[in-house]
Amino acid sequence: MKLALFDAENWKEIGSTLARNKTRTFLTAFGIFWGTAMLAMLMGGAQGLENWLRRNFEGFATNTAILFPGRTTMSYKGFNKGTAWNLTFTDLDNLKRGIPEITAITGINNMGVTVGKGKLSTTTTATGVESDYSKIFEPIVLEGRFLNETDDLLGKKVCVIGKNVADELFPNSSPLGEFIEVNGVYFLIVGVVYQTSEVNIGAKLDDSVIIPMDMFRRAFNRGESIGGLMFTVKDGMTPTDVRGRIQRILSNNHPLHPDDENAMFFMDVSEQFKMVDNLFMGVTLLALFVGVGTLVAGIIGVGNIMWVIVKERTQEIGIRRAIGAKPIDIIVQILSEGIALTVIAGLAGVSFATFALKIPEILTADPIKGTVNFTLSFHSAMEIVITFIVLGVIAGIIPALKAMKIKPIEAMNAK
Amino acid sequence: MSSPIITLKDVNKTYPGIVPLHVLKGINLEIGRGELVSIMGASGSGKSTLLNILGILDNYDTGEYVLDGTLIKNLSENRAAELRNKMIGFVFQSFNLINYKNAVENVALPLFYQGVSRKKRNKLAMEQLDRMGLADRAHHLPGELSGGQKQRVAIARSLITNPSIILADEPTGALDSKTSKEVMDVFRDLNSSTGMTIIIVTHDPGVGAKTNRIIRISDGMILPDENV
Repeated sequence: MKLALFDAENWKEIGSTLARNKTRTFLTAFGIFWGTAMLAMLMGGAQGLENWLRRNFEGFATNTAILFPGRTTMSYKGFNKGTAWNLTFTDLDNLKRGIPEITAITGINNMGVTVGKGKLSTTTTATGVESDYSKIFEPIVLEGRFLNETDDLLGKKVCVIGKNVADELFPNSSPLGEFIEVNGVYFLIVGVVYQTSEVNIGAKLDDSVIIPMDMFRRAFNRGESIGGLMFTVKDGMTPTDVRGRIQRILSNNHPLHPDDENAMFFMDVSEQFKMVDNLFMGVTLLALFVGVGTLVAGIIGVGNIMWVIVKERTQEIGIRRAIGAKPIDIIVQILSEGIALTVIAGLAGVSFATFALKIPEILTADPIKGTVNFTLSFHSAMEIVITFIVLGVIAGIIPALKAMKIKPIEAMNAK
Repeated sequence: MSSPIITLKDVNKTYPGIVPLHVLKGINLEIGRGELVSIMGASGSGKSTLLNILGILDNYDTGEYVLDGTLIKNLSENRAAELRNKMIGFVFQSFNLINYKNAVENVALPLFYQGVSRKKRNKLAMEQLDRMGLADRAHHLPGELSGGQKQRVAIARSLITNPSIILADEPTGALDSKTSKEVMDVFRDLNSSTGMTIIIVTHDPGVGAKTNRIIRISDGMILPDENV
């Protein structure tokens, strides 16, 4: 027997049947269209929302910790509790040597400064960091380069300035290779940077002047002390895992009890990320839940319409069978009609959703950060359509099989 | 009588139920090739059941039914559909045309299930419609045709597969007397010009009188023959 799927005659028959029952075809198609469109918009929307939120953390290593010294809360080594202590360059070296799990570490010094170039000047924050900084919090380089290890070692008076600072002091020209005055000290500009994430340590990169740590100390007479430090640990670990060892190393040189957890501000960013991850998980689960609901409602809709189609065509089915249609002919016919409708309406629904998802994409577009991808991937769009087809076929088979149980004569007399 | 195209030997049919209904009680019947016969009986006589069995629309319990040399017994639904399609042309009281298909498409439909191409089946359908004098109505929907025209479309449809027999179930039941006469004339012409075997089930004595042989059925049994 001929294979119905590849039989042009069969498709012509289906086409003419669908074309002759315009209202029914339209209503069924609209149901499928709406179901796929809703599902596609939901999935694309959830994905887009996640992309949009995640954009705020771009360039920030997730297994980072930030540490600032505070006041002790336990007495130790003969010092009263409440003693203030400072991080030093020695601590930084000790930590690098003592904890091999640390992959990148930098001290941070911040200071409010006045920056000038010729007649223009502005107040901003100068930040002293080591080149490892870029491994922890990757800046986006607009021009030139970021600080590197050579800058750390040679103690040259170089700096990288934020985009906003550059705009203010060099409104019409490139700042690269120019000198700026930072609190009376001249620095050579080697790069212009900005950040996309909303995470700030001290000041936003866009508004900062970034100077090598050692140079910062010497230029501004900061002595041995460091304002704070940032570090990342190797993959598979969290900074909290090494916190105890950090505390013990620091205790050697400071009046810091090894158990005095409140003597420092220690923020494990990976824990913050875990919370954010949980939020995304929640959003994804919600989208999935509502999506499955939409899908089920859509399928019940398709099944229901198939049921009505079979019911109102009982007589037609009876006639067709009396004049020689085999049960398989009828089932193939009903299912083919359903599949043809689902494919066309489903593709239309997904296409509609794609256009609809352009709207939040345009709304969240940012001149610097670019657009967030709200659009569904082709892959998931096809998944939605195919899911609808498969479930629609299953939903359609039940009434089709039921129709086969009625004897042709009874079916013909049904009105 | 010529060689029989239909032979029924002791056919019994019982509808199961709390009180089983024995509808056909040992039917013995022979219908010859080229006959124009009517089967008459009151309602409840088993006439419709007999029609369904003759039309391979229903099974029987015991006995034998041979149609044009083929034993019709315990067929699968697929085989039954195939035999119906090839061997039997149906004409019904309520026409049973598909209302969203035009006349030519309705007539061509049985050929669709034989896998005949659209072009070829529409050509054959046009020939049949032309024979029924309905060539000018070929592209009208059933709703745009009169009762007599609809029944002639249905007859054209029954003829298109060149079947062994035409089985008509109360073909004039929904028609007025003038149109009934026209339709009966169509059957008579068909029978005399092509030698097509035609079996008409009816309760209308006027219709029965127009056939060449009347088979009377009463209470599930065939009454002795009466040739007109």
